This record gives sequence, C-alpha cells and structure tokens, in this order.
Amino acid sequence: MTAVDAPTANPVPRPVTDHATKERRAAWALTAPALILMVVILLVPVIIAGMLSLTNYSLGNESFDWVGTKNYEKLFTRSTYEKMFLATLTYVVTVVPISVGLGLGAALLINSLGRFREVYKTIYFLPVMATLLAMAIAWEFMLHPSIGMINRTLEMGCGTFLENLWPFMAEGCATRFPVWLGDKRYAIWVICFIGIWQGFGFNMVLYLAGLTSVHRELYHAAEMDGAKSAWERFRLVTWPALGPTTVFVVTISCIRAFQVFDTVEAFWPQGGGPNKSTYVMMFAIFEKGVQQNLIGIGSAITMLFLIFVMFLTLIQRWLVERKVHY
Amino acid sequence: MTRDWWKHLILILGVIVVIAPFYMMVSYSFKSPGEIDRGEGGFFGRQELMVDERCVKLRDPSRDDISTATDRFPGQSDSEIRDALLAEATAECSMRPVVFNYTKAFTEAPLLRYLLNGIIVTASIFLIQVVVALPAAYALAKLKFWGREAVFGLVLFCLLIPVHAIALPLYIMLAKLGLTNTYAALVVPWTISVFGIFLMRQFFMTVPDDLIDAARMDGMGEFAIVWRVMLPTAIPALLAFAIFSIVAHWNDYFWPRIVVTGNRDLFTPPLGLREFKGDGDGSFFGPMMATATVIVAPLIVAFLIAQKRFIEGITLSGMK
Repeated sequence: MTAVDAPTANPVPRPVTDHATKERRAAWALTAPALILMVVILLVPVIIAGMLSLTNYSLGNESFDWVGTKNYEKLFTRSTYEKMFLATLTYVVTVVPISVGLGLGAALLINSLGRFREVYKTIYFLPVMATLLAMAIAWEFMLHPSIGMINRTLEMGCGTFLENLWPFMAEGCATRFPVWLGDKRYAIWVICFIGIWQGFGFNMVLYLAGLTSVHRELYHAAEMDGAKSAWERFRLVTWPALGPTTVFVVTISCIRAFQVFDTVEAFWPQGGGPNKSTYVMMFAIFEKGVQQNLIGIGSAITMLFLIFVMFLTLIQRWLVERKVHY
Repeated sequence: MTRDWWKHLILILGVIVVIAPFYMMVSYSFKSPGEIDRGEGGFFGRQELMVDERCVKLRDPSRDDISTATDRFPGQSDSEIRDALLAEATAECSMRPVVFNYTKAFTEAPLLRYLLNGIIVTASIFLIQVVVALPAAYALAKLKFWGREAVFGLVLFCLLIPVHAIALPLYIMLAKLGLTNTYAALVVPWTISVFGIFLMRQFFMTVPDDLIDAARMDGMGEFAIVWRVMLPTAIPALLAFAIFSIVAHWNDYFWPRIVVTGNRDLFTPPLGLREFKGDGDGSFFGPMMATATVIVAPLIVAFLIAQKRFIEGITLSGMK
C-alpha cells in the first residue's frame, strides 16, 4: 500500500557488491539501537551483579572490599536464608503443580461443554488481567480475622453438622478462626493460594489453545484400539498431544512463581511474614539490596535467582527440541 | 445439559472462588464504614445518607463565622447560631456512601495523577519498545549480513533473563546516574523487549520477499521499508504485543516500588494504592476499595470488550 506513493526514481540496477554493502550497513544501523540496549540493560547488569556479589559494596560508599565467596557462604549458612529458600521452594512446588493441574482440569471441563464455554473462560481469566497488588489488598480484607468474608462464612457453619465432620471447624467455633495472615502456620499457604488463584486461568487458556490442535481422528483411532473409558482416551491421546503445551506451561509457571513479590510486600511490608515464613527470594533481594543497602548479599541472591531461572528455561528448550511429541 | 450438570457444578464453584475478591472489592466501594464493619447491606449497601465526620469537623464554626452569620439568624443567641451552623454543615457533609467513597478516593490522594502516570509510563514503554524492536526484527528476518546469526543468538540468550531478576544491578546503575525518582527510571529498563524482537522477527519471516523487493524497486530505503511497508503488515501482531506490554506494565508493582521512593508525583497506580493502604487507619476501607476498583477497572473493562484479542495478547508468549 505504501509502495505506491513512494518516489519511483532510480531505475538503474546498481552493482551487486554495492548493494550487499548497503544492505549490511542498513542492517547494522537497524539493529544497533536494540543491540546497544540489550547489552546495556540486560547483559551488563548480569555482569555487575556477578561482580558485586563478591564485594561488600553499599550505595554511597566510595570504595569496597572484595570478600570472595563470603556472601554466598552466608546464603547457605544463615537461618534467615534457609527460611528464604524454604519459602521460595514451598511456593514454587505448591503453586506450579496445582495451578497447572487446575488449568488443565478447567480446560478439559470447559472444552467438553456445549454451552457457556466463553463465560467460564472469561471469568477464569479475570484474575490474570487484574492488578495483583489491588487484588492482594482485596484478599487481605477477605482474610481479615473479624470482619473478613472468609471467617464470616466459616462462622455460619458453626452449630451445624460441619462441626462434627471437620475438626478445623470445631476448633474454630470453640475458640476462634485463624488470623490467616498473622499466623505462621497459614501465611505461606495463603500466599500460595492467591498465586494459584491468579495464575491458573492463564494456564487454562494455553491448554484450551493446545486442545484445539488435538486431532479428532486420534480419538476414533484410540477407541478402535479399545480405549473405552474417558480416562484411557485422555491418557493415550490428549495428554501426549498436550506435551508441548505442558512443557511450556510448567516452565512459565515456574518462572512466574519464582518472581512472587506483590502479595508478600502488600501483606507484610517489613520482614517477610510471621517468623519470616513468607520471605521469598524477590522480597529478599528488595529488602537486602534496596532497603538495607547490602548490595553484596542482594547481588548474590540475584545471581542464584538468575541461575535457577536460566536453568529452568534451558530445560524447557531442551525438552521442546527433544520430545515435542512423546 | 442434564448430563453435564456435574461439570457445571464444579465450574460454578470455581467461579465463586475466582469472583469473590472482585465482588467484595466492588461491593465495599459502595458501602458505608458501618455496613462494612457489620457486614450488612448486600452488594450495594443501603445507600443511606451518611455524614462525613471529618468534613463537619473542618467546618466547625469559629467565633468569626458566628458573628458573620448573625444577619441570617436574627435575634438568636450565639450558641443557637452555632447549632444552626453545625446543622447546616452536617447537612452539606452528608452524602451517599458510594459518592463518599469515590470522592475520597480522588481527593485523599492524587489518584488522577497516578492514573495519568500509569498511562504515560505504559504508553512510553510500548512506543519505545516498538521503535527499537521493529527495525531490529526486520533486519534479523529479511536482511543478509555478516553477524546476523550472532545477533539472533544474543536475542535468544537475552530471552533467558527476566528483567525483574536483574532489578538490583539496574537500580544501582540508575542510582549512580542519579536517575532514581524520574520517569526515565520507570521506563528505561523496559525499553528493550527481546521478546518483542523475537516475536516480530517470527512474524516478518512470513512476509513475502516480493513485497520488500517491490518497495526497493520503487527506490525506498531500508528505513522507509520498515515503517511504511513492514509496519502496516504487522498491525495484528503489534496489537497483540501492545496488549501484552500494556497489561504487564500497568500492573507492575515491583519495579516502580524500587525506583520511586516518596515522590508522589511519579507514583504509578499500584504504588498509589499501596500508599493509600499505608496511610489508612483501618476505617478507610470504602475509599480504598474504590481506589482499587478504579485502578483495576480500565483493563478489566477493555478485556470484557475485546476478550479474544486480550487472551491472544496475554498468551502471546505461548505461541511457538
């Protein structure tokens, strides 16, 4: 469309070499801004973090000392950081399988429906779109020990058969229901729950897209071969066909899970939760590196974080290349 | 339908859990503090007139006010005039809870400013990303040059680095340059979208070479080709990328939290909400939820209007 109104001059064909040089120059001119920014914004910081993790640097100080691997030793010996790894690992190991499982479950259910598919899809996707910080504050109100909707709903169950059925209920009615965010037994699970709540719709949408690519004939073929039950059909046809989607969904869920921050900071601006039970890595980087100006430690955590994330992505790429269809 | 009832049952239970915080957020933004405390009033609250205590206190009549008002209340004692003035103030400070909550949301904190900042930051990020990524993607897809493979390899490598993960060294660099607490700090780290380069390159690979050759025949330079030939063909992909980028940066909290400290004029919407929460003495649930609703609403409304495009955009990263 735009080619038409361009000036139609220069009909003489230029020599080939001249053209090649021109193309090369243009190519470098076109990629230069991106290239420079990539180096300055993505690569240089990684190198800086790597170097600073070996120092005791603080912003504002003129000089610093090289301390070798001391920062890393601290990470692996102090109990604070043990709690950090525990919280991060608990979060990732809980949120990833459950949000992937729920995403797959919801996708399968929705895909098998005739009506209302779009309605469910839209609603389940809402948390993905919403500002997580705002929703964290909404959840905080829901979890408020006295006026929150959750404990109010639980209180309604008092005096009913639920009390006999469910020890948690009996205990809550007899004394009181948990304070959720203030209780170190529940805090990390609340964070996990919100992570799942926010993320499973994303996985569902990816699985729904993956399901449209499963061929109908495969189901017929499987039935011919004696796969009678729905479970057999799922195991033999759907699950293998969703392999690539699963690899991708698991990786991206992992990377997102490692980066959990908003909810933790919103609930406990200081310290990372009751007894540091929700002291996740991103929060640790923020607290140590930015708030307390302990750049060395913060950089060491950053490096570990990068290694985890890169490792995960490399596994994903390897899996995608190796066994796209297993 | 009858056969599927159990599926609907499960899905509806899920819907309840997913919707609950949204329901509560919007509902609280309608209710008076008393209704929130006691948990009454259904979804909309009863919308009985309520008195804004602070507004009344601010209008507490002084001696001067009383003496100037003697004309209006002839033959009354000072204390009677005082009571009359107080009654007036109370009447003028009464309003429906929904009005109270939303006016407070916009007057207690500069919410409009926050929203404007959000727009400025997300829009500049997206525009710069396109200006940087599009030419590079074109060169990588359609031009032959020595080093192309190396550049593309670098793009693939950089895809491994999440910007949030390197926030600390980026923060140090910006601090060294004296750029913290500026718009630049909010925008700069996001100006390079390796994902955008990758995505647009994959898209440009599918554009026929004939189109470009024809443009060259017409005497267009490579720069002109990028903006006048490639850009128009890339509109659908760019739209999806726009949604991806805008949603991510409107909702981002981590990075603004690091580089903006204290300077309210630079707060993005999530930061503003965070400060609102920090300020609140607990009785401000209504206005706070009104703020949250205002911040969440633009994207949700846009999403409900153009669901297909949004889902496409957000799940972009899932395309191979």
